[in-house]
Amino acid sequence: MKVQGWLFLLCGVFFAAVDLVYWFWSKEPTGTTALAISVGLALMIGYYLLYTARRIGDQPEDRKDAEISDGAGELGFFSPSSWWPLFLCLAVALMTVGFVIGWWMFIVGVFAVIMATIGFVFQYYRGHFTH
Amino acid sequence: MTAINEPIRVGVAPRSARKGTVIARWLSSTDHKVIGHLYLITSFVFFLIGGVMALIMRAELAQPGLEFVSNEQFNQLFTMHGTIMLLMFATPLFAGFANELMPLQIGAPDVAFPRLNMVSYWLYLFGSTIAVSGFFTPDGAASFGWTAYTPLSDAVSSPGLGGDLWIMGLSMSGIGTILGAVNFITTIICMRAPGMTMFRMPIFTWNILLTSILVLLAFPVLAAALLGLEADRHLGAHIFDSATGGAMLWQHLFWFFGHPEVYIIALPFFGIITEVLPVFSRKPIFGYMSLIGATIAIAGLSAAVWAHHMFVTGQVLLPFFSFMTFLIAVPTGVKFFNWIGTMWRGHITFASPMLFAVGFLVTFLFGGLTGIILASPPLDFQVSDSYFVVAHFHYVVFGTVVFAMFSGFYFWWPKFTGRMLNDTLGKWHFWTLFIGFHTTFLVQHWLGAEGFPRRYADYSAADGFTDLNVVSSVGAFILGASTLPFLYNVWRTWRHAPKVTVDDPWGFGNSLEWATSCPPPRHNFSRLPRIRSERPAFDLKNPHRLAPEKELEGTR
Amino acid sequence: MPGAAALAALLVSLTACGGPGTWDRAGFPQGVTKEAGIIQSLWNGAWIASLAVGVVVWGLILWACAFHRKRKNSGDALPPQVRYNLPIEILYTTVPIIMVAVFFYFTARDESTITAVSKNPDVKVHVEGFQWSWRFTSESGGKTVSVVGTPAKRPELVLPMNKSVQFELTSPDVAHSFWVPAFLFKRDVLPGVKNVFEIHTLDKPGIFAGRCAELCGVDHSRMLFTVKLVPQAEYDQYVNSQAGSAQ
Repeated sequence: MKVQGWLFLLCGVFFAAVDLVYWFWSKEPTGTTALAISVGLALMIGYYLLYTARRIGDQPEDRKDAEISDGAGELGFFSPSSWWPLFLCLAVALMTVGFVIGWWMFIVGVFAVIMATIGFVFQYYRGHFTH
Repeated sequence: MTAINEPIRVGVAPRSARKGTVIARWLSSTDHKVIGHLYLITSFVFFLIGGVMALIMRAELAQPGLEFVSNEQFNQLFTMHGTIMLLMFATPLFAGFANELMPLQIGAPDVAFPRLNMVSYWLYLFGSTIAVSGFFTPDGAASFGWTAYTPLSDAVSSPGLGGDLWIMGLSMSGIGTILGAVNFITTIICMRAPGMTMFRMPIFTWNILLTSILVLLAFPVLAAALLGLEADRHLGAHIFDSATGGAMLWQHLFWFFGHPEVYIIALPFFGIITEVLPVFSRKPIFGYMSLIGATIAIAGLSAAVWAHHMFVTGQVLLPFFSFMTFLIAVPTGVKFFNWIGTMWRGHITFASPMLFAVGFLVTFLFGGLTGIILASPPLDFQVSDSYFVVAHFHYVVFGTVVFAMFSGFYFWWPKFTGRMLNDTLGKWHFWTLFIGFHTTFLVQHWLGAEGFPRRYADYSAADGFTDLNVVSSVGAFILGASTLPFLYNVWRTWRHAPKVTVDDPWGFGNSLEWATSCPPPRHNFSRLPRIRSERPAFDLKNPHRLAPEKELEGTR
Repeated sequence: MPGAAALAALLVSLTACGGPGTWDRAGFPQGVTKEAGIIQSLWNGAWIASLAVGVVVWGLILWACAFHRKRKNSGDALPPQVRYNLPIEILYTTVPIIMVAVFFYFTARDESTITAVSKNPDVKVHVEGFQWSWRFTSESGGKTVSVVGTPAKRPELVLPMNKSVQFELTSPDVAHSFWVPAFLFKRDVLPGVKNVFEIHTLDKPGIFAGRCAELCGVDHSRMLFTVKLVPQAEYDQYVNSQAGSAQ
């Protein structure tokens, strides 16, 4: 995680340098703004990764002499299957087409998206999975 | 590593399920391998659709004065051809290969967010369908070019529904791409197997990481520009009004996305080539570290060159963008020499994946050279917006995406499906494709330099463009025909080819995907080998060749 | 490789075609301005350098394909598993840097020459590009000539030889691009923007094609015009007969 953190920071610093040169040379506002926002994106992710890396310490994947058994144990929860992605995206599609075709469809789409999002997020907290 | 409770069933055919069950299983899947199949199949279908559009255009341009499509229809054709090829074929193809391979290559059981992965796919499929559905509206599909320059793309100049559907459909599928990138980056950061340090990761995975970073950089800007345009068209906004600099605003925003986009569609496929060459040269990658450094340089610089698409506007800082564009040629050249260095003094065998990889090298080289020429504004002033540029980008994009795609297909088909594609048919496929491609596009350099603009629905006999257009059109149909041996190959081997019983049918695979069955079990590995270099599968088979620590310069 | 041989044969046969570009101009039409001469030299030099690089790199690729193949008698033996070579890697990083630096130098030099604009050109042409034709309003020596066209009837811009001509480009609607291939130059015609460029015509009379080079709608490919270069005397005659005409 440290390596990626530094990678993002390096990108952020590079974009910042390019942005400064670009602004002072061209005074063109659009590109300057886009680059500035990119600096923000890169630095935000970079600092988050470095901060988290410091918090969680060394991981087996970053040790050159690690054995596979060092990663033994539960890795996480991987949803075995789900219909919610399909429903959610059908709702988004309805919203998207509705924006073009008519407000009535768009409103229906918005409601559908809200319902599908709730269903998606709470899939493993409801019904059979209540705890 | 992972707790896997399913029995290993390599070489035993499972009971075939009912068709409805299979469809339901695929539609509700959260398995990155199935999602990868969906991406690959869907993007290939779009490739065929975009290809048919190209054939129609080439047929129309074969002779001056032909009119079996109207000018308006022709404009719709090249708009949708470009949109489909870039955003519905090449970009999702990157997501497809990333899904199929990246978790395997890092020793992970799946991606970090499996359901979000499927969300990304559906957003892509539905968004793209919406964008293309313009063809079924009375005024037809969007016809303002895939670049959608304002004010041509505003409500006054392009009032039809097709334009709105194009904008909203692409916004939706762009969000899918962004979410996919988030998934890939998180997976690579958090889910590598023990010992899989960053500098032991396969180059393909490195390229997926850097491509995903570029996606995060570029696609939000596209989404903003698209939604701003739709606000102008549909909500009465004035964001892109010409009087307040709207024409240039659109171009800056679009190309700030557009240039990283072409690297998004190039880098993953450079990664595929980097995986194929060592296997068929029987040597490790040459210059692993400098390859990574070069790719990072390309990714960073790609955000600083966007206005080289705007030299002829007369409104951009020419020396800055020209210099940055010249610079970006250097790391690309470094990669080229690394690839040649991998082949050099190897024991090369020319199975189909290797043929396509060499085809990529030969083709992309020429595209790269014309790119350096285009980086020079005085030269760009003549050839910009002409067939020279069309030729250049087909050489680099088709040369990279299509050649590397087929190389990857032939290479990884056993891993994806458990069967090998037929190699003889592969050779027929390669040569027809190679000859068809170069016949189509080589002469277009000449046409453009002579004065034939791009996006022209017709020309006159007096222009002197006819002969080269005939050559190009004949080439296009050869190119189109080359898909047939491939489709036949897929169909035939699906039915008749024997199942692969070993982990690595090619024998010299390097990365972790070749250390599990063909195809892998549901969560990828029943057992992971120890990882001590950038080629863990090779080390597993050749333990006596594991180089001592100090020699593994590339594996810090 | 047979594919490459077929390609070479194809290319050689194309020389028979003629057409606006020929081999010694590497595809460009004959230039009719001083600036075009500068651009032509840069183009020729760029192609010589690019093809030289291409020959070397294609040569390396094809050499490896031909001579570094697996021999039948090598069995399972692996070739030396070379992973890196620092001197060579440094070489093929620094040499391209030097090459692009050189190209950039010539680019920057020529670019400032051809984009230069003077205070008192001999002829000033106001170009209005609209959907889907052109209006040219030329002004020289106090006299104005205006021509406008339609997609069916191309407008003709008459210009004197051996003079400096400054173009001012505007559009009332969408983006267009003013391209005369014989100038080896184009410049966009954008709404809300005034673009200016200048050329110096040479002693090359003739009628030259002009085309719109930025997608502007359904009749983009019919937005054509011509440029006619004539001797000064003929130009004066033309201006006197047209002066003040608004079509």
